[in-house]
This record gives sequence, structure tokens and C-alpha cells, in this order.
Amino acid sequence: MATVTAPLPVGVGHVEGKKFKLNELLRWSVDHKIIGIQYMMTAFFFFIVGGALAMMIRWELLTPAIDLMADGTSYNQLFSIHGTVMIFLWIVPMMAGFGNYLLPLMLGAKDMAFPWLNAFAFWLIPPAGILMLSGFFVGQAEAGWTSYPPLSTLFSGDGQTLWAMSIHLLGLSSILGGINFIVTIKNMRPQGMGYFQMPLFAWAILATSIIVVLATPFLAGGLTLLLLDRVAGTAFFNPAEGGDVLLWQNVFWFYSHPAVYIMILPAFGMLSEILSVHSRKPIFGYRAIALSSLAIALVGFTVWAHHMFTSLTPELRIPFMITSMIIAVPTGIKVFSWLATLFGGKIHLTSAMVFALGFLSMFVIGGISGVMLGSIPVDIHVHDTYFVVSHLHFVLYGGSVFGIFAGIYHWFPKITGRMLNERLGKWHFIFTYIGFFFTFFPQHVVGILGMPRRVAEYAPEFQGWNVLISVASFVMGMATFILLYNIVISLRNGKEAGANPWRALTLEWQTSSPPPAHNFIGDPVPFKNPYGYGTKAAWEYLHKQEEKLGESVDALNVDKPASSVPAGD
Amino acid sequence: MSDIAKVQHTAESPQRVENVKFAMWLYLASDVIIFSILIATFVLFRVNNEEVVKEVHEASGLFLVSLNTFLLLASSWAMVMGLREIKRDNRKGLIRWIGLTAVLGIVFVALQGVEYTILSNEGITIYGSEFGMRFYAPTAFHGAHVIIGVLWALGVVWHAMKGGYGPKNYSGVEVFGLYWHFVDVVWILLFTLIYLI
Ligand code: HEM
Ligand SMILES: [Cu+2]
Repeated sequence: MATVTAPLPVGVGHVEGKKFKLNELLRWSVDHKIIGIQYMMTAFFFFIVGGALAMMIRWELLTPAIDLMADGTSYNQLFSIHGTVMIFLWIVPMMAGFGNYLLPLMLGAKDMAFPWLNAFAFWLIPPAGILMLSGFFVGQAEAGWTSYPPLSTLFSGDGQTLWAMSIHLLGLSSILGGINFIVTIKNMRPQGMGYFQMPLFAWAILATSIIVVLATPFLAGGLTLLLLDRVAGTAFFNPAEGGDVLLWQNVFWFYSHPAVYIMILPAFGMLSEILSVHSRKPIFGYRAIALSSLAIALVGFTVWAHHMFTSLTPELRIPFMITSMIIAVPTGIKVFSWLATLFGGKIHLTSAMVFALGFLSMFVIGGISGVMLGSIPVDIHVHDTYFVVSHLHFVLYGGSVFGIFAGIYHWFPKITGRMLNERLGKWHFIFTYIGFFFTFFPQHVVGILGMPRRVAEYAPEFQGWNVLISVASFVMGMATFILLYNIVISLRNGKEAGANPWRALTLEWQTSSPPPAHNFIGDPVPFKNPYGYGTKAAWEYLHKQEEKLGESVDALNVDKPASSVPAGD
Repeated sequence: MSDIAKVQHTAESPQRVENVKFAMWLYLASDVIIFSILIATFVLFRVNNEEVVKEVHEASGLFLVSLNTFLLLASSWAMVMGLREIKRDNRKGLIRWIGLTAVLGIVFVALQGVEYTILSNEGITIYGSEFGMRFYAPTAFHGAHVIIGVLWALGVVWHAMKGGYGPKNYSGVEVFGLYWHFVDVVWILLFTLIYLI
């Protein structure tokens, strides 16, 4: 594409902007923006599937007896596929979708380093999803998302084999995507943007991708052995024939604890963007946030056995308890940096912002229950109870999924060119927040009282709690349809957003919405500090941008010079 | 000082070469991890069951596998020679040497098949044998890598026959070389761990 040096006439961006076309999304495309949307839509489909399974789980648990499901095995299949779908087919690909869509734009690049590989990585996902779900016809996997032998090797039906093959494909997809992200970040940054001028979302994707490339192969190795045990008659995990049953747990958690950070770090990155933009304040502690992501990636590899406190030799417990405490530190650094960012800022309670704040509140609770679980005496008591279920949903739903929702509200205008309806966004938030809290907070209590996880029948004294939990979860489930409805009507009738409705300084806003095929008309000019909000220079930069790209919605009311140019500057 | 930095994009060939090589290294890093899990299962067994392994060694002998190791080393050398030729603008040389690489790879896989048959006949199979499963998993995974490498080598040959590559444009050969050397190094490791010690 030719370099345009002369200032562009007003409105040119709109003419070149590509509209959102469905048939384009169903085809092979090497454009990172299309691929990003493909990831997101596929992931959202699986979110609905996983959500429907969750509703069935909660329906079953309304009463202490088995009633909805035929037997314990079918209940096992239910929660196994729920967990697997939510983690491997919703959160992980959704984050990859955001990464794909945003990263090249944020770096001012035309595309990822390897567009073809990018498309290939995406197209591994639909077949993997089909494999996963088709286990339904041959005896679905029933060993949980953690797939512990011997249940996963000697007992489960053929669906378990499909499960392992599906995860294998998804893992390959992740690794290829991760390599692409790392190379893109290392080599495609524009001149004038060093690592420490990158948006924090790019840092988050970098740290995530390092984990993906170095941790996912452990899962791949483990899955290979698991598949051999199932189909080739080996006995890697069967002690009766000379195998080692703990081998799987070690390999799996060596992957899967780092993998929980694959699921949360991109949300951290989105949060750093959103909190800063919507409170019109520079991010506090840029370097601390950037480097703590790397610290998390590193320390994340040293804590895996905290999932095995009850199966490991006792001497090994203390070291893993210590590392588990240490890993809370970089996360704490981030949380305090975000709070300091908010402090004294002009906080705009947009839908994106309320979800971001919701993330903060819920994630802190999840972090605290994590540290509780990391301490051996507590864990031995509550291991395999609903306390663990509560912890993981606070970090994964209250954290990752709230982050995704915040990201949707924040970047939807960029992706589609239209604003989402704010009023519906607030309702979505209120029902999700309240539903979420009453679904998962009481699970701490039933967990401590001793209700085990992964059972369809439970002691009658827990029924009151479980009814409350189920009802709240139905509210939360329904709330998701508010978002879907919002998306559908806003695509047709939403307000035209223009290039930069939030007046953000990162480069993805420095082009029309949606961006043209090669992202930018001419070369985009990054602002020195991606979070330099509230300065005169920033105001002038945005002003020039608007002259170039045409007017956009002023959703945060920052254009009034009195409120955005500091006096006497 | 200006707040505004000028952006420039170099989508040029050197950038591309650097991208591809770096990506290959990242891929190999993740591949080496998969291998190490498979190898670890063998090593842990080896440490605890010295006798069993010794028996297998006596049963199978070292001749075939040593020959194979030699062939694979030779193929790596052929690969290096191919790269040297294309740097000297000798495409015919490239085709010949990389073709030899592929042939040596095919022979390696074939001999591995022969060895598997011999071992199976002695009762060392992938199922029902504590040694067998830990032996076949890493070596067969390696064999799969060789097969992919052979296909890749044939791809390089095919591309060269159509007039691809030149003295300033050989990164495709180089990246294949990275992969092939990697497969070779892993084999040396396997050979040492499984057969020699
Ligand atoms: C403050 C840092 C954290 C610590 C110390 C921590 C500690 C723990 C421990 C000890 C367990 C095992 C409980 C048991 O099975 O008895 C656990 C489970 C779990 N944690 Fe965390 N955690 C932390 C943060 C996170 C984050 C950020 C995520 C995800 C984004 C996460 C996701 C999970 C999941 C999914 C499980 C359940 C695994 C299963 O199904 O068995 N944790 N955590
Ligand atoms: Cu963990």
C-alpha cells in the first residue's frame, strides 16, 4: 500500500472502512481482523453451549437426588464437557480473538507476522469443537476437564478419546497462534515504539504467548501418552502394569496452572486499557504492570503441585505452598496499580467500565480464596469441595469472563463501527453481577460445610443453599441474552461510533471503525505515551486525529476543552 | 522534543526471513518439550530397571541402530552441503544434496521398521511390555518427525526444480535445515539414552 503523506480529507476513513459481512466470516481469510471476529464468534457459540450445560447442572442440583440426569455417569459427562468447553473452546479462543483483532492494530501494523498461519490456527478450532461435541454419540468423556486416570484411561467411553484428540488440536492451534503473537510483537512494532511504549494489552499477549508456547507442549506430551493408553494398549498411567498414575497429574498441572494465566492475563491487559481510558488518567505503574505479567508467567511454572496437595508426598507440600503464596504478589501489584489508576480519576461508569470494576471486585475475592487454597491446612479440608468450584469461578468468570464482557463493550465500536446500547449494557451488568455473586459466593459456604464437587446427589441439608445457587445461576444465564440482543440490535441500529468514541490514545483508534483492509490509511503516528491522558499534548493529538479521521461520538464527554485541558498548561 | 514518532513499516524480505527463523526456533522449543516428556518416561524407567534394559540390549544388538544413526548423521551433512551449494548459486547441487537427504531419511525410517519387527518378534511390543511402551513412544514420535522431514525435503527439491531459491534467497532451505538438524540432535539423544547407557 502506498504511503500517504499529505493530510487526508475529512471522512475518507469512512469510505474505506469495511463493513461487517456475515458471508465473509464463514470463509477462509488471512485478514487478522476477520480471523479475530471468527475466533470471537466461534468462541461465543461455545459459550452458549457450555452455558446450556451449566444450566442443566444447576437444574440437576435443585434437589439432592438424581432426577434430571439418568445416572451419575451422565452427570459426570455433563460437567466434564461443561468445564472443557468453557475453558478450551470459550475463554482461550475468545482471548486469542481479541489478541488477533487488536494486536496488529495496536502496533500500527498491517497484519500479523504470519497471516496464513494465523488463519490455519483458527480453522483448527471448529473441527476440534465438533470432535469434542460428537463424543456425545459414542459415550461422552466423563473424567472432568482435568481428565485424571484411571477414570480417563480405563473407564470412560470412546468420547474420552475424541476429547483427547480435540484438546490436542486446540493445543496445536494455541501454539501456532502463540508463536505468531510473539514474532509479531518482537518484529512488527513501529519505529518509535519500544517494548515499553507498547500498550499493556500487547504486554499481556506477549506474556500469555510465552506461556502458551512453553506450557502447552506439556499437555501435548501428556495427551499423547493418554491417547496411547487408550488406543494402543500402553499403560503409562496404569500402576498395575508398571505405569505411574501421578504422572498425568504432574504433567497436566504443569501445563494447567500456567494455563490459568493464559486465561486471565489477556483480561488483565484489557483491564489496563479500559480502566485508564474510562477514568481519563494515565495508568499507574506501567512498568510494574508490564513486568509483573512476565513474573506471573515465570512463577506460574513453579506452583503446579498445589493442585496435588492431597496426592503428593507430604514433604513436597511446603515448597509448593511457598511458591503459591509468592505468585499472589505480582497479581497484587497489578490490582494495586489499577486501584491507584482509578484514584482521583474522572471515572465514567460506561458498560465497559462497570464490567471492569466488576472484574476487580470479583477477582480480588477469587485471589483471596486462591491464597486460602494455597495454604495446606485449608486445602486439605476443602479440596474437592464446592470451595474450589467457587474459587475457580471467581477467577475465571468474575475475572476472565467479566474482562471479556468489558472488552466487548469497549472494542465493539471499533470492530463494527457502531456503539452498543449503554442502557442494555447496564442491565446486562446488573443481572450478571448479582446473579454471579449469589451463584458463586454461597459455594464457599457449602464447600466449607463439606459438600463435595462433581456429585449429582448430595446430603439433604445442603438443599436450601443449592436452590439459591441454582436460581441465581438462571438469572446470570439469562443475562447473557441481554448482551446477545444488544449486539444484534446495535449492529443494525447502533449509533455510528466514528474512529475514536472513547478518545483513547492507543493506535487501534487511530483509524476508521471498522478499519480498512490494511488497517491504516498511511502510516499511523503513535502518541509517545499510550496512557498520557489528561495532558494538553494528548488533547492536541486527539484533536488532530479527529481532523484527519472525521468526527466520532464523544461517549465520555471529554471534548469540552474546559474539562480536558488542564488549566495553565 | 516532539510527542509524535514517525512510523515506518518494513515488510521487506529480510524482515520476513528473520520472522520465519525466529518462529521456527519457537516451534522447536515447544517440540523439544513434548519430546522431553516422552523421553522422561523412558529415563525414569531406565533408572529403576537396569536389568530389563540390559536384556533388551542383548536381544536386539547395536548393529542396525548404529547404522541408522550413521545414516541420519550423513543426511544432516548432505543437508549442509545442499545449503552450501545454493549459496554458491548451484541449484543442481542443491537438488542433488537435498534429494540425498530425503533418501537417507527414507532408509532410516525403513530400517526403523525392520528393527521394530525384530523386537516385536521377540515379544517386545508397545502393549503389555513395560519396556516396550517407553521405547516405542519416543522413537516412533521421532520417526514421525523424520517422515515429516522427508516430505519437507521433497518439497524443497520440488520447489528448487521449479526454479526456486538462489544465492540471496535460500531462507526456505535454511529453515528446513533447522528442523532437520533438530530431528538429528533428538535422535542422538535417544540413541545415547536408549541404546548406549
Ligand atoms: C492468587 C493466586 C492463586 C492461588 C494461590 C491459587 C491456588 C489454587 C489452589 C491451591 C487450587 C487447588 C484447590 C484444590 O483442588 O484443592 C486452585 C484451583 C483452581 N484455580 Fe487457583 N489459585 C490462584 C489463582 C487462580 C487464577 C488467577 C485462576 C484462573 C484464572 C485460577 C484457576 C483455578 C482453577 C480453574 C482451579 C480448579 C482446578 C480443578 O478443576 O481442580 N486460580 N487454585
Ligand atoms: Cu493452580
